[in-house]
Amino acid sequence: MSPINIKAQFLQLIEQNKGIIYKVSRSYGKNEEDGEDLFQEIIIQLWKAFERYDENYKLSTWMYRIALNVAISFYRKDRKRIELESPLTEGMTEIADDNSNSELDSNINLLQQFINELKELDKALMILYLESKSYKEIAEILGITETNVATKISRIKEQLKQKFSTNKS
Amino acid sequence: MNELELQSIWNAYDKKLEKSLKLNLKIFEDLQTSKAKSKLGSLSAIKEVGIVLGILWNLLLGVLIYGNHFKNLYFTISIGLIMLFGVVAIATYIKHLVLINEINYAESITVTQSKLAELQVSTIRVTGFLWLQMPFYTTFFWNNDWVMKGDLGFWLIAFPITLAFTALAIYLYRNITPENLDKKWVKKLMVMGVEYQHLVAAGELLQEIEEFKKDEV
Repeated sequence: MSPINIKAQFLQLIEQNKGIIYKVSRSYGKNEEDGEDLFQEIIIQLWKAFERYDENYKLSTWMYRIALNVAISFYRKDRKRIELESPLTEGMTEIADDNSNSELDSNINLLQQFINELKELDKALMILYLESKSYKEIAEILGITETNVATKISRIKEQLKQKFSTNKS
Repeated sequence: MNELELQSIWNAYDKKLEKSLKLNLKIFEDLQTSKAKSKLGSLSAIKEVGIVLGILWNLLLGVLIYGNHFKNLYFTISIGLIMLFGVVAIATYIKHLVLINEINYAESITVTQSKLAELQVSTIRVTGFLWLQMPFYTTFFWNNDWVMKGDLGFWLIAFPITLAFTALAIYLYRNITPENLDKKWVKKLMVMGVEYQHLVAAGELLQEIEEFKKDEV
């Protein structure tokens, strides 16, 4: 495959999955700036791994594994800001102003906040669950059994529901 | 709040992002020209520098031993043992390089994160181990006259200093462990002596992975 094709394929992959990369970045980044750095890091690592993509894996499994592995590693890393040779003048992403629904926005923010409070691996599990991934795929991405996935999801879900209820009451 | 509601909030979030999230495509140009730099950095570069410095240090020690022509047994043994610590450090770093090359972000989360955390824990352990060479820096200048003839200065000053360094080295070896990284002084020593600050969380993550995996029904 020519380099131009590879680039086009990669851009398409990122465009199709920008939402999940953004959500993973926001869930693991400590603040907006941190999330931007993480977003960029995930894209760099996806790009590095893209040519070695093993077609035996589902593309989504491959992408989630890289995004979450990078996010967890990035979270632990000393993240002193390192200047880029060519600093990005703008952020990696930009949210356009739209007519937002304030209740929905508040629920999204609450859910995001609760996810941010979870432990690193629980956070990965919950993101995958909310992305409606099957237990089989979650188990493959995380490297645990499906039974374990089911047990943990039900436990974390309970915690989230309780937090939502407490916060709303 | 039921699970469908949780997922529907998440899906709404997705739709909102789909509609409003614009990617800054400059990153892709930077990727093409290799200007976009990974902030995770290259773990292997640090190890490679460590190996080169370790080899140079050991060569210097070898020259010193050779230059002494094995005349002073204390010098030969002390420097020889310091060299041995150097060899262990070099071998560990080479092992780390092999491990780093085996790390693949496309593997499952628990496998990749275990490898990364084990690498970091091993770095902490080798740092603790290297402190054990400290007493030999206080013995290389000893000589038979001091030791055999009961030199007062030696028994009152040099020997107690070596004993103190030995006790301190053993204490550091036993305390610079992944479990103790929450202690401020350990953290400071690690930051001073070793490449990572994020080591602190490695032990905790390994524990979390173990708990995560064993929690089977």
